[in-house]
Amino acid sequence: MAIQTPDRVVPDAMVITADTRPPKRRPRRRSISWGAYLGLVPLAVMLGVFCYYPAASGIFHSFWNWNPGGESTFIGFDNYSAMMGDQLWWESFKNLGIIFVFGVVSWVIPLAAAELLISLRSERAQFVYRTLLIVPMAFPGVVTALIWSFLYQPNDGVINTFLTSIGLESLAQNWLGDPHLALLSLLFIGFPFIAGLPFLMFYSTLQNIPKEIFEACSLDGVNRMQRLFLIDLPLMGRQLQLLLVLVVIETLQYGFVAYILTSGGPDNATTVPVLHMLSEAFNGGNWGYAAALSTTLFVLTIVFSTIVALAKRRDSTTNVKGM
Amino acid sequence: MSAATIQAPSRPPRTKVRRRRSGAGIHIALITIVAVGLLPYLFVLTTSVKTNEQFATSYWAPSFPLHFENYGTAWNQIAPFMLVSVVVAAVSIVGIVALSLLSGYVFARFQFPGRRFFFTMVIALLMVPSIASLIPLFVMMRDLDLLNTLWVLIIPRIAGGAVLGTILMKTFIEGIPQELFDAARVDGAGAGRLFRSIMLPLSLPVVGTVSLLTVIGVWNDFFWPLLTVTDNALKPVSVGLLFFRGQAGTDYGAMFAGYMIASLPLLLLFLFLSKYFLAGIQGGLPGSH
Repeated sequence: MAIQTPDRVVPDAMVITADTRPPKRRPRRRSISWGAYLGLVPLAVMLGVFCYYPAASGIFHSFWNWNPGGESTFIGFDNYSAMMGDQLWWESFKNLGIIFVFGVVSWVIPLAAAELLISLRSERAQFVYRTLLIVPMAFPGVVTALIWSFLYQPNDGVINTFLTSIGLESLAQNWLGDPHLALLSLLFIGFPFIAGLPFLMFYSTLQNIPKEIFEACSLDGVNRMQRLFLIDLPLMGRQLQLLLVLVVIETLQYGFVAYILTSGGPDNATTVPVLHMLSEAFNGGNWGYAAALSTTLFVLTIVFSTIVALAKRRDSTTNVKGM
Repeated sequence: MSAATIQAPSRPPRTKVRRRRSGAGIHIALITIVAVGLLPYLFVLTTSVKTNEQFATSYWAPSFPLHFENYGTAWNQIAPFMLVSVVVAAVSIVGIVALSLLSGYVFARFQFPGRRFFFTMVIALLMVPSIASLIPLFVMMRDLDLLNTLWVLIIPRIAGGAVLGTILMKTFIEGIPQELFDAARVDGAGAGRLFRSIMLPLSLPVVGTVSLLTVIGVWNDFFWPLLTVTDNALKPVSVGLLFFRGQAGTDYGAMFAGYMIASLPLLLLFLFLSKYFLAGIQGGLPGSH
């Protein structure tokens, strides 16, 4: 009782202060607000100088024959019209298209794994399998790329050695050196594609579907495939939509794996926009042109990110408030 | 009651049989998928303790004696890169946490004109891909004469990390009950004291998430260090590994030992902080918590 009384007193005190405070608080808040601006100065400086300025500078210089350290001349839309006629640029987008389609199709495996996992009854077994399935995520991307570049090696590589040891020597290939196979080989890096965001999203969505629905299904004699198409996928609609746009953005930035394994070769078979942009700037010295290419990628990303933000806003499960 | 006891014995056996059948199939399928996913890493792990002769004679199976000295050889070559990454990550974490704690606190707890506008300006940066500002940022760093220094790795990371950091902090601090702040204020605490005695200790989970994100980011960042740092002594692990691969040549044991050493920090973080690790990778997306 003695402990409770203060709590009971507080509301009364709050009511009293609520009546008397507001006139007092307002001037206080105003005087504090200058401190608030002061507190934001470090962030504003950092973001202004190292995020906003470079982005603006890139867009600005895409209209120039940019010559960092020397004299630059304004050339209007010349960089962009050069881009429209750049065969390699379009070819790199064709590769991006293949990468995107492959990325989406490859969701079949994480989806199947999530379905298998969710049908395990033991929570403990689910946890163990889930952890083992996503362990590859913990490896740095560069290490994974380097390991796969060894798997693909023509002489000592794991894949060719395996094919030879089971008597299928004729199937052994120069995986990364053959222009017809190089892109496909890059795409298979990380097979079976489970250690990633799609799997985690599928799994957590399936986990959140009430058990009663599944039970009702089994009572009604709905088999596994029917359940997948009639219940699981429709309930995952929003997540699928979000994933789709995230994959578009991720695909636009695709590059470092191709750089490590093939450097865009052979015969530009694996070139992607990011690699083309970097080689224009750092090998060709065409900084203005590279700025135009990067601005194009930037605009494309903004367009798709806006779609993500809209999808997110409608999604009640978002954690970020105030968006 | 009697009906239930009569039915009970007849039903369980049926369901048990069913469970076992489907259960075994599911386990076999899952084990197969796990095995396929982990096989490349296991191969690298077993090869990392072989000499080249052992590798040539027994390509697949582990072979004895295990040559742990491969790890010593690799460590000698990789340690400098690891050190650079650790330093970059540590300094960046301090900078990001300081910046985002302060600005998250301001955004969450103060009312001032332009608050909404400034916060929108922060959120908007989430949409700017790092690859898009790579070239202008490079030119800027060159003009500032910062190429081939540690700062060229640290400063952009702090700026980039502070964006998500501020958003996470603001969201988190808004969730702290106002009563705590009021109580402290009644007891005579000023803004600084509120920050130190309430905010800092309470926000440790977010500090953890932000730190993990930063470490993962540093370990995975590739193009930026590749372009800005050509001095081998200043290369972080992601780019250093390429150089290391070139040096190791065909000494596969040492090469793979190096890959394993480079992965160890992230693997340990994953092992011990799995929850934060996943939250970090998903960056606050739906279903991440």
